Amino acid sequence: MEGFLSTYGSAIVQMALAGVLALSLYLPLMAGQLSLASPGFYAVGGYVAALLSTRVFTGFPNGSYPILLIALEMVVAGGVSALFALIIGIPSLRLRGVYLALATIAFVEVLRVFALNQPWLGGAVGIYNIPQPFFSATRVEYLLLALPLLLVSTLFVARLERSRIGRAFVALREDELAASAMGIRPTYYKVLAFTIGAVLAGMTGALNAHILNTWNPRQGTFDLAILILAYVLVGGSRTFLGPVIGGAFLVALPEIILREVADAPGLHPAIATFLRDGRLILFGVLIAVSVFFFPYGLVTPNLFKRRRKTNVPRLEAAKAAPKVSRG
Amino acid sequence: MRLSNQSLQQYRRLWWFASRGLAAAALVLLITAILTAPSGLQNLFNGLAVGSVYAIFALGYTLIFSILRIINFTHGAIFTLGAYFTYFLTGASVGFNGLLANQRLPFGLPFPIAMIGGGLLAGLCGILIERVAFRPLRNKGADPLLTLVSSLGVAVAIVNVIQLLVGAEIYSYPRNPFGEMPAALNLGTFGGLSQRPVVIRTIQVIIFAVSMATVVLLTYFVNGTKIGKALRAVAEDATTSSLLGINTNFLISLTFFISGLIGGIAGTLVGLSVNVSGPYFGINFGLKGLAVIVLGGLGDIPGAVVGGLVIGVAEAFVPSEHVAYKEAIAFAVLFLVLLLRPQGLLGRAAVQKV
Amino acid sequence: MSDEVVLEVRNLTCRFGGLYAVDNVSFQVRRGEIFGLIGPNGAGKTTVFNLITGMTPPMHGEVFYKGVNITSKRPHEIAMLGIARTFQNIRLFGALTALENVMIARHIHTRSGMIEGVFGLPPAPQEERAIRQRAMELLELVGLADSAEMQARNFSYGDQRRLEIARALALEPELLLLDEPAAGMNQNEKSALSAFIRRVREQFNLTIVLIEHYVPLVMGLCDRIAVLNFGQLIALGAPEKVQNDPAVIEAYLGD
Repeated sequence: MEGFLSTYGSAIVQMALAGVLALSLYLPLMAGQLSLASPGFYAVGGYVAALLSTRVFTGFPNGSYPILLIALEMVVAGGVSALFALIIGIPSLRLRGVYLALATIAFVEVLRVFALNQPWLGGAVGIYNIPQPFFSATRVEYLLLALPLLLVSTLFVARLERSRIGRAFVALREDELAASAMGIRPTYYKVLAFTIGAVLAGMTGALNAHILNTWNPRQGTFDLAILILAYVLVGGSRTFLGPVIGGAFLVALPEIILREVADAPGLHPAIATFLRDGRLILFGVLIAVSVFFFPYGLVTPNLFKRRRKTNVPRLEAAKAAPKVSRG
Repeated sequence: MRLSNQSLQQYRRLWWFASRGLAAAALVLLITAILTAPSGLQNLFNGLAVGSVYAIFALGYTLIFSILRIINFTHGAIFTLGAYFTYFLTGASVGFNGLLANQRLPFGLPFPIAMIGGGLLAGLCGILIERVAFRPLRNKGADPLLTLVSSLGVAVAIVNVIQLLVGAEIYSYPRNPFGEMPAALNLGTFGGLSQRPVVIRTIQVIIFAVSMATVVLLTYFVNGTKIGKALRAVAEDATTSSLLGINTNFLISLTFFISGLIGGIAGTLVGLSVNVSGPYFGINFGLKGLAVIVLGGLGDIPGAVVGGLVIGVAEAFVPSEHVAYKEAIAFAVLFLVLLLRPQGLLGRAAVQKV
Repeated sequence: MSDEVVLEVRNLTCRFGGLYAVDNVSFQVRRGEIFGLIGPNGAGKTTVFNLITGMTPPMHGEVFYKGVNITSKRPHEIAMLGIARTFQNIRLFGALTALENVMIARHIHTRSGMIEGVFGLPPAPQEERAIRQRAMELLELVGLADSAEMQARNFSYGDQRRLEIARALALEPELLLLDEPAAGMNQNEKSALSAFIRRVREQFNLTIVLIEHYVPLVMGLCDRIAVLNFGQLIALGAPEKVQNDPAVIEAYLGD
């Protein structure tokens, strides 16, 4: 177990963070908005944490930076990201489909070039020597922060999905015009979904700035946006579990699964070499293949519904529903 | 808050005048900038040269969007493939890295023929990619967003196959590929309009000419030929057109072939201009290419050229003290245009159906 | 039926391209009335609904609801004032269950925000129970309670129309706009629908405007009828009066 953690601990941390990033894209998508702005908020969050921990909360010897301060940075990063989301979201969320995706990508790029040119953000080098709360070289301990972040975000989105606000999001996704005929304010709920997503991305960035020990303009890019979109679509975009599973799976695929397979005993050396050197080829092919075989993603809402139906006959389930929720 | 009818109409009329006024003002400003700045004309030509690279990249991109309404992320990879194919068809050898290190073809073609060969091979790759990444999903009637992901997967695979086979080093083409030609043309001072003589690289003139010729040919092909009409029918409604006896799959394959052909030749030309910088050579244009085609109006073929030139010229006129922000220009322009004109510069507004 | 005017449409005009979809149309609907809007295909009936509910901005003219000018209001504001509608081309939330479809329409009658919803703080749990209860009652009313957990897109055409009515009723409207409620229903369903609409009007104190092609249904059900042709109002009045109007006969039988 200890060996496993020291080998794969940091990969597992990144799997958890990928899950949260995927949720940050899933939220606007839940309200029918294809936004690719997550890397932008992720970058903003990272810079907030990097600035706070290297300029403001100084004086802690390396390895003893208080975890509570990291949590505080995450909260501040979430807040700043939310502010950015409001400024960007209100004008751009009247765009539809690809146009919104492009406008949000434009935001990510402008932000990246801005960071590249600001001396106070470290320019191309970025901000380095971000203080560490742990001594270990493997940084497995970051699981103590990354897993709770993933858990809390997942629970939050799961609960939201079943609440009044979540239903308003889904109504907008299914049919914006019909939703507005039901008295749902489209702009308000779109901006809300977008902003919650931004908060999650900002908090992830803040945590990852500590994990990576450095933060620079390469952290929030178009490539990351597309990768996050792949997390969501490969995992499944119709239930909160999809993005979480998709993010974890796509990070694990090249880093853990294909490596493990390549190390399997008895494998022909040529195949093992290919698995090691060509793992990104396989990664690309598997993405394409998974989309074909799982067009609704690996996790679909029906997975749960079918089980529910086998437990309670449908007719009774419908009639019993109001009583069940009282308990 | 919404306005009442009368004021809404007044507002619309006002907006019409204001937007035309703004455009005219921008044009006047640009012309003054060109004529007054010491290197204004030089900047304009540099901008047009860079812009035509964007345009030539975007043409194949936008062709597929205009027919299938999807963004083909493999276009950057095809662009790269075209550049490599041409390189190897000239008989030059692979570098020191990769599985094919130091290998070469047993023959060498003259450069112009190799370039066309590279384009044709890239076109065939386009057909293959359509069969692998797009057609299966289309037959399933899947969400168009998914083709974005599957084409992304294929693009990642292609880039890494290139890296595995021929390494990540820089490849450059032979000198004077089109026979003896001056490296640059001195266009003089335009009768004193420019304070300094305007100099432009020959290859940039070629790229500009090829992108102009391509847009004319493509526009004629789509609007003037029978196949083009069938293509537009497919773009309008693929199901109905296949019921009418139009061979949809063939036409879509053809679209991917043409897009790949244009992309492959474009990759070669751009490689001549700046060298083939590695497996990510074309992918790096992908993002700006998106900005270009949205700016011009998604799926609008002349729009892609206009968008490319506008961004190229806008970048060229960034003052030297702010040159670091040049990379952001395309996206700042894109963001503003989207907010003011969501359908792009040349695109038409879609009417929402109730 | 009282004399109070619930809905008034004044000189409503709307043009798409060069074509007048609705041309200078005016009428009043009184409280408690079932008001029919009929006319040949393309006469502009649905456009009138879209103009009333703020989904299409008019070129000229105004819409008054209970004396308030609602011409420039947005669809969600109009829904909040108490106007609900169904759609000619059925716009349910297809991926959601029937129950969820109706629960969504309780939106404006519930208050709980994001925090209450996520953490289960009051009033969210009570509201959740109440809207589930209410939604089930409405599904019961339209006869779909047994398939409450079924995805809306899997319902038959007629059931989808019924579900849309249940969803509109969940808004607790005072004015209900029904766009071709009988389309796609068989003969038995159509006669049942007539009785159902009357019953709903009594039970919920509704004023109803309905667009319908099926003339017997309209004649038997409506208190008054407005006839549109090429965007113009060509007749307005009691069913028997409209039925014998030469202009109406011309519109339906002419050409």
